[in-house]
Amino acid sequence: MLESLSRKGFDIAVVSGTSVDNVDSQLLARPEGPGRLYLCLNRGSEVFAVGPEGPVLLARRTATAAEDEAMTAAARLAIERLEGRGLHAAIVAERLNRRKLDLIPEPEWADPPKSLIGELLGAVELRLQDCGLAGLADVAALARECALEAGLVDPRVTSDVKHVEIGLTDKSDSAHWIFEELALRGLGPGNVLIAGDEFGLVGGLAGSDSYLLVEEAAPATAFSVGVEPNGVPEGVVALGGGPAAFRGVLEDQLRRRKRGELPRSDGDPEWTLAIDGFDPILERAHEAVLTLADGRIGTSGSPLEHDRAASPRVLVSGVYAGEGATSHLLEAPRWSHLAGELDRDRLRRMLDLRSGLLFEESAARGEAGVRSVRFSSVSRPGTVALRAEGPRASLQTTRPLLLPGNRERARSGRLRTRDWVQVVAAHGGVAAAAHDRFRPGSGIRLERIGAYVADPETAPDPMWAVEALCAAEDAGFEQLLCDHRAAWGARWADADVRIDGDPELQRAVRLALFQLMGSARADGEMALGARGLTGPGYRGHVFWDTDVFVLPFLVATRPQAARSLLEYRIRHLSAARHEARQSGRAGARFPWESARSGRDVTPSHAHLHGENIPIRTGELEEHIVADVAWGAACYLDWTGDDEFRRGQGLTIFVETARYWASRVRLDEAGRAHIDGVIGPDEYHEDVDDNAFTNVMARWNLRRAAEAVAKDAPLELDQGERERWLALADALVDGYDPATGIYEQFAGFSELEPLVIEELAPRRPIAAELLLGPGRLRAAQVVKQTDALMLHHLVPDEVAPGSLVPNLRFYEPRTAHGSSLSPGIHAALFARAGMLPEALELLRLTSRIDLDDLTQTTAAGLHLAAMGSLWQALAFGFAGVRPAGDGLRLDPRLPRAWRALELTVRFRGSRVKVRVEHDALTVSADPPIRVLVGASKRGTPATSAGLRLERHGRSWRKVDP
Amino acid sequence: MNKVLAEIDNSAAARPVLAVARAFADILSVDVEAVHVREDGERNARAAAEAAGIGLRSLARPVVEALAEAGRSPDVVAVVLGARRVRSGRRPAGHVVLELALSLPKPLVVVPPDARLRDGLRRILVPLNGGRTTAVALAETLMLASSQEIELVVLHVHDAGTIPLFSDQRQHEVESWGREFLRRHCPYPERVRLEVRIGSPGESVLQVADETSSDVIALGWSQDLSAGHAAVVRAVLERSPVPVLLVPVGAEHSFGPAGVDEELRYEHAVA
Repeated sequence: MLESLSRKGFDIAVVSGTSVDNVDSQLLARPEGPGRLYLCLNRGSEVFAVGPEGPVLLARRTATAAEDEAMTAAARLAIERLEGRGLHAAIVAERLNRRKLDLIPEPEWADPPKSLIGELLGAVELRLQDCGLAGLADVAALARECALEAGLVDPRVTSDVKHVEIGLTDKSDSAHWIFEELALRGLGPGNVLIAGDEFGLVGGLAGSDSYLLVEEAAPATAFSVGVEPNGVPEGVVALGGGPAAFRGVLEDQLRRRKRGELPRSDGDPEWTLAIDGFDPILERAHEAVLTLADGRIGTSGSPLEHDRAASPRVLVSGVYAGEGATSHLLEAPRWSHLAGELDRDRLRRMLDLRSGLLFEESAARGEAGVRSVRFSSVSRPGTVALRAEGPRASLQTTRPLLLPGNRERARSGRLRTRDWVQVVAAHGGVAAAAHDRFRPGSGIRLERIGAYVADPETAPDPMWAVEALCAAEDAGFEQLLCDHRAAWGARWADADVRIDGDPELQRAVRLALFQLMGSARADGEMALGARGLTGPGYRGHVFWDTDVFVLPFLVATRPQAARSLLEYRIRHLSAARHEARQSGRAGARFPWESARSGRDVTPSHAHLHGENIPIRTGELEEHIVADVAWGAACYLDWTGDDEFRRGQGLTIFVETARYWASRVRLDEAGRAHIDGVIGPDEYHEDVDDNAFTNVMARWNLRRAAEAVAKDAPLELDQGERERWLALADALVDGYDPATGIYEQFAGFSELEPLVIEELAPRRPIAAELLLGPGRLRAAQVVKQTDALMLHHLVPDEVAPGSLVPNLRFYEPRTAHGSSLSPGIHAALFARAGMLPEALELLRLTSRIDLDDLTQTTAAGLHLAAMGSLWQALAFGFAGVRPAGDGLRLDPRLPRAWRALELTVRFRGSRVKVRVEHDALTVSADPPIRVLVGASKRGTPATSAGLRLERHGRSWRKVDP
Repeated sequence: MNKVLAEIDNSAAARPVLAVARAFADILSVDVEAVHVREDGERNARAAAEAAGIGLRSLARPVVEALAEAGRSPDVVAVVLGARRVRSGRRPAGHVVLELALSLPKPLVVVPPDARLRDGLRRILVPLNGGRTTAVALAETLMLASSQEIELVVLHVHDAGTIPLFSDQRQHEVESWGREFLRRHCPYPERVRLEVRIGSPGESVLQVADETSSDVIALGWSQDLSAGHAAVVRAVLERSPVPVLLVPVGAEHSFGPAGVDEELRYEHAVA
């Protein structure tokens, strides 16, 4: 039975108070997977995984010598006190992490079966009453007292009627471990069945199986097959019937799985996004929000049945159709469709973010309902799967693959009975293969598996897609599903953010992280466009959005994915060098907007609102050069990747520093200037000494100098390094010590002092449409975070204490006319301790796509805004930043939240941070050094957890 | 057979009214008939009708009632009439026009006295604000243009209240926004060209009509000229040098074939 369940993808955990030899000899199971068998034994002290070779220890709670002594002392003390009451009891076993006391050491009750539990209880209680003890609860209380007196901090006292055990763990520890492990496997508690035979009270004490009903188990379904003479706790189903009934439940589950029934979501509202009905106005925005992406392809969440307002599409990462400014991401053949016209009123879609599954219930006109689930596998990128059940007529399709909208260069065929479609671009292309299988069910069941193969240079042979499909089919839907869920579980384990106290925000944040992770790949190079794989907007072109807004999240949670973003820049270094040379500069000049070739594809003009206007960002927005270097530095700071530091990272630093060194102009006084640029604030073009550009260039030069000091490449002479440092020191930054404010660019303070906060009907607002470009150019209205961005990216490069004056000056002047802006301001307000302002902007950022604030979500999700949302939480509210080989934390928690938890990966360590109002807990595996607040001294944080309490403005460690 | 009804007076404005009526009738493949209520003679009216080759029917006074009754005839698909008798006449339009516009539940084409169709009906400008009323006009105009070589220019005007929140990279943002706007509000987005402006909607409509050399401006409206309503209709009627097609919400007649998909007409309207 257990092997069968495992083969069908079930994970099973057996919880027992006894040892592995005992349990394994009874089960004799050797499952091969994909489902796993866990043995949680010795009453919460051990966990084994059982595979084809038998049990393997996964975890063991090991008592310290002091704990061992205390347990023995506690047991002896308890025996003594019971003797004092006239009750003879005996220590019968010293089990792992507990001492077992026999309350009725009589031959007649040596080894009573479970079926005699009632009689046993009667006998024990009689014995206790004879000694003036009210019952088992009294004995348990006495044992607990003894345990505390003996020095145990958190004793666990349990009873099976015949015995009382004093220990360090109980079954609740097993339960905690199980739910945490299942979460790593992509399974929520709502997908769990808990079975037992002793949930209800026994002798006034909680039944042993009730310990499995931990807080996180609340959505699970618990049932008892036991006698349960005192009933079961609320929420537990009293099934009865003993072992036979239990077996019956398992067999039923197995039958359902064999029939290919649809998996279900656990429906947790903090992990699911549901869209009911069909709104033709908002449908395409909904489809973008429901995108399933695996780093290779992105599939919109359109309904399976046809509706003219839907916009189904599949986009391919890194493969572009067309050239130059008009190039765009290639559309691939579609796989998520059925025949029939949608009945709009009967549509429901739910995206399960925890497991990356899109559930849909719909009905074609006049037909009974169709239920389905689909996913784009993140464990096997490029592989997709759909399972649907319903009336035969509703599930019929002519082909499992449909040609994309632009079908000029598409061809199709069949190989090995599988359908394939190939779409060829000017460079590269995509090939897809898919196959449908039908089987009887309630109605019938359709199972479709598809495989995509893409290449940015050469159109793949359809045979490769067919082979990938065959391999996926060999694995089978259950295996694919299991692996996909587990892969999402692993991602969330490294990336989840929990906000205790704001469920709406919680869901919005998880959606953001889900889509960020979905759009990124962890191998090769990744050209991550502004909308990722969630839509065709911005044509899949790459901007600083990637390096500054998305990369930090990936660096801190999936470093390999961040590396693939950097690989895109590295592979196009030669294009950047060429561009620098073309403009008479040295080093590398990365493009403002790029696509396949890595060259600049910013258009020079655009016809907007009736006018032909020049687009000068490609020509003048040069801070991108430092932004790329900053991305590389961010990666290094978080990962400590020595190979990258000595190799490609060093190259990036050197080439970008060379660019700046050739770019600056020295005046007669020896001050360095950078003339004629556009900063992040694109309302003001062709400005001199933009603070952001200058300070980032300065940082770039210094960082490069530091890097070469450590790992000097052979072709770099000391003179060049010294020149960088000298230029860095000479660069003007517009800082006025008297006011503490950085002038955004030379002459900004002389512009018309318009305060957009008081002028605009609302903010955010695209102020160029409100005031016109001419008026804006002459006014102190800022599009997005510019000078303030320095405080976010390079806080060590700006004057200490300058954050607040610059926030107070620039925030009212910021139109937030870019979706990249509010999230960064949220982070900065949080850093400044201005939490209501921070929270307002955080919430706004979280709703940009959910509420379609731009009316362009249909063209794809705003990934940079989503990245800024994470940065606001991590860098802003949690105040997490690398500090050398340690991690600095400086949290600020809004009143409205009870806690903020986040997980990051720092230098190979998984670090969990929990922020409460007056407490901070950090656990790290392996251990890392943590600096808290302004402290200069680090403290080690281990897997056991470092706990600190706030005392005024400082933090003090709490001893365990 | 259905017809377009040209309601002409005895002024020089009759000739352009008849020309526009003929152009609409040709597109719709229906007849055209002229009617006239004799107030101050009828020789100009008769001469204009004869020159246009359109039959003229005389109606008895009172003027508005007679014309309204004629317009309500079930075989009339649209009514064409002059905005005013002379260029310097009443603004935004004469009282007859306004009273008919307010009461007649059919498409009404209001022709300025110096309107001239350059080369027939080739281009129609349809302002679209995303609301139901403007969507009606678009739907009707699409029907009109569906089988003809008529270009539709859809115009959206942002005002201070509707300016987008964000404009990350202008060239991409406007493209994305425009594409989605058409998908939301236009049944056949691939068949129209979108122009977006910022400013006063009335001014922008006239400006873009001029820039694009549009032959007709099509406006949907709720037949309410009270204060606070129909500002664009007033502004355009007042100053448009080209005919203005007014399509009331809930118009009895559609330019499309019988049985046109009601959903197609209205699904893209926002309530």
